[in-house]
Amino acid sequence: MNSLNTYLIISAFLFSIGLVGVLQRRNLIGMLISVELMLNGANLNFMAFNRFLTPEPVVGQIIALAIMGLAAAEAAIGLSIILALYRKMHSINIEQAQRLKG
Amino acid sequence: MDAIFKDPVLLATVVGTSLPFLSMAVILIFTRHNPMLSSRISVTSIVVAAVCALLNLAKVAGASHPFRFETAWMSSGNFHLTFGYYLDPLSALMLTIVAVIACLVQIYSLGYMSGDPGYSRYYAFQSLFAWAMMNMVIASTLLQLFIFWELVGLASYMLIGFYYEKFSASQAGKKAFVMTRVGDVGFFLGIIILTLGFGNLGIPDLNNAPGTGTITTGFITMAALLVFCGVVGKSAQFPLITWLPDAMEGPTPVSALLHSATMVAAGVYVFSRIFPFFAASPNAMLIALAIGTVTMLLASTMAMTTYDLKQVWAYSTVSQLGMMVMSLAAGGYFAGVFHLTTHAGFKALLFLCSGIFIHEYHTNDMRVIGKQGGRKQLVPMICITVGALALSGVPPFSGFFSKEAILGALNAQANPIWLFAGLFGAFLTAYYSFRLIFHLLFPKGGIEEKHAVHEMDSHGHKEEHHGGLFWAMAVPVMILACVTVVLGFAEHSLQGYIMAGGGAVKHASTAATGGAAHGVVGHELLVILGISAGLVGIILAWFEYGRKGASRNGFLSYFPPVWKLFDARWYMDAFFRWFLDTAIYSGLTSIFTRNDRRIIDGGIDGICFFTETGGRLFSFMQSGMLQYNLLIMVLVAGLAMLFFIV
Repeated sequence: MNSLNTYLIISAFLFSIGLVGVLQRRNLIGMLISVELMLNGANLNFMAFNRFLTPEPVVGQIIALAIMGLAAAEAAIGLSIILALYRKMHSINIEQAQRLKG
Repeated sequence: MDAIFKDPVLLATVVGTSLPFLSMAVILIFTRHNPMLSSRISVTSIVVAAVCALLNLAKVAGASHPFRFETAWMSSGNFHLTFGYYLDPLSALMLTIVAVIACLVQIYSLGYMSGDPGYSRYYAFQSLFAWAMMNMVIASTLLQLFIFWELVGLASYMLIGFYYEKFSASQAGKKAFVMTRVGDVGFFLGIIILTLGFGNLGIPDLNNAPGTGTITTGFITMAALLVFCGVVGKSAQFPLITWLPDAMEGPTPVSALLHSATMVAAGVYVFSRIFPFFAASPNAMLIALAIGTVTMLLASTMAMTTYDLKQVWAYSTVSQLGMMVMSLAAGGYFAGVFHLTTHAGFKALLFLCSGIFIHEYHTNDMRVIGKQGGRKQLVPMICITVGALALSGVPPFSGFFSKEAILGALNAQANPIWLFAGLFGAFLTAYYSFRLIFHLLFPKGGIEEKHAVHEMDSHGHKEEHHGGLFWAMAVPVMILACVTVVLGFAEHSLQGYIMAGGGAVKHASTAATGGAAHGVVGHELLVILGISAGLVGIILAWFEYGRKGASRNGFLSYFPPVWKLFDARWYMDAFFRWFLDTAIYSGLTSIFTRNDRRIIDGGIDGICFFTETGGRLFSFMQSGMLQYNLLIMVLVAGLAMLFFIV
């Protein structure tokens, strides 16, 4: 049970859920949460590889920390974009934001 | 740096030829708003330059060989470009002429330009002009000479267009610049050809080249003719005559400088500078002789119809330059240089005298000046007559000696037509000069009384003219008049001076004149012919303009078409206009315009049209839905992954 494969499967599962969420949800905040899920899936991968294959240099953990920082920044930017969009459109539905339509 | 202080000649050269530039820089940067200080700086520097030039003149006389200071400027393989000074008797003499005339003109300008709003600017440009010309004179290579040659052109452009708010002045400046540039293209091509074919642009090396047999006569002819193009442009030879009469738009002292020692003298100077090189090609010499003759006669005829004081002298400059070119092309090296020297003196004198009249009466028309009592101005009237006598070649004035020398050189030519052309030119010169003098002295209908009253009324005004400012103008004029009277007697010492150093020059000169042993006419007869050509011209002018009851119309007025032809400058300007309109504007430039409109503009428009239409056509693919784009991205990434894994 406590093997590399288990973690890889869990992380692939997380990533897929995130991907489907991003592609399917029409709510912008939902899309943002899904992106976070995808990032966490990737994070889990790094941690698992670090733990099972090369435990001594803690590169995987450092990268995981970096990704967490990145995710926080991305969330901040994403939320501010969503706020700006809301001020213009009075909605956070992605279907309303189609001005670039040809 | 030490070498400069060890050698007095080099020190004098460096100081003398760089001070005017420094003064220009100081005036333009610091003292623009202090005209008094600007003029003092400029005059001081040019006086120092003149003293240095005189020192060099004396030093070169005592030296056994020419002074040559050079440093490498750039080198590539076997080809070296050097920069430096080359002081031989010719350049030392020319340097002195330039510095002294520029000095006198600047002192004169203290009076003439006083109160002008552009006083500082004027002195800055004057310094630039003197600096460029002096450096051109002592340049050791043809390329260095060309650089300063162009700077001379620039300075004269700025000075001709000095009253830039006047449309005609800025047009005249432009015309002078562009027309001389036409010749300079040829000059530059000549330099390139010399670089390619001979590989050395040093002036003494060029002069010794024909003797060594390293280059063929055909090559010399081509290079000499191309360089001669520059001479034609700068010295206003046929067919690029017409810029010089228009250059009268500048202040009169500028004309005096431009016509005597700088700018137009540059062309003749270059011709004499590489004279042995020219002399090695009989064909080039013949073409130069023909061009000089045509120029001299055309310009003389033009001078016979104009009433503008300065324009008469401008045409006479062109014709005298033509005469110098004739003389050089006929092998009369010393005669040409000597005429250049004397001409610098008396032409500056004539212009400066005219400047006093113009300053006093505010008109250029000789009839109006005469009517308003021009002859009462004793100093300029006497001096202008001295100048005109010298110009007409009347002994004992300097022009007589140099003109005789030129006629002697022409006399040595096998074909007598050149000599007759020279004599005819001398006759025309005397005629139009004294046409002007008699217009001033004996105006039609006498002096108007009105002006005398006016003079009494504005007594205070008149006194102002005879204050310090008047003498600032009168003293240089009187100095020049004295020089004009005595310079002719220095012919033999000057000849010894000029011919002393130049073995190549002497050889080339005797070769070109064909020995000069026998002439078309004897020596005594030639002197008599020369004097009588001038005197007949003066007498004819007296008969038509001077004596009591003279018609004051001139014999040309009986032939209106001829008068019109001369007055319109042989329709040369009209021809240039027509040539520009048909060949350049509607021919060449219209093709370029079409290329610009159709190909360049059209090409860019086509690209824009293609992009825009393409965008419109494919815009249906864009739904504007973020998630569809994302989906495609994911699909493509997945497919790429599959491709790489499998």
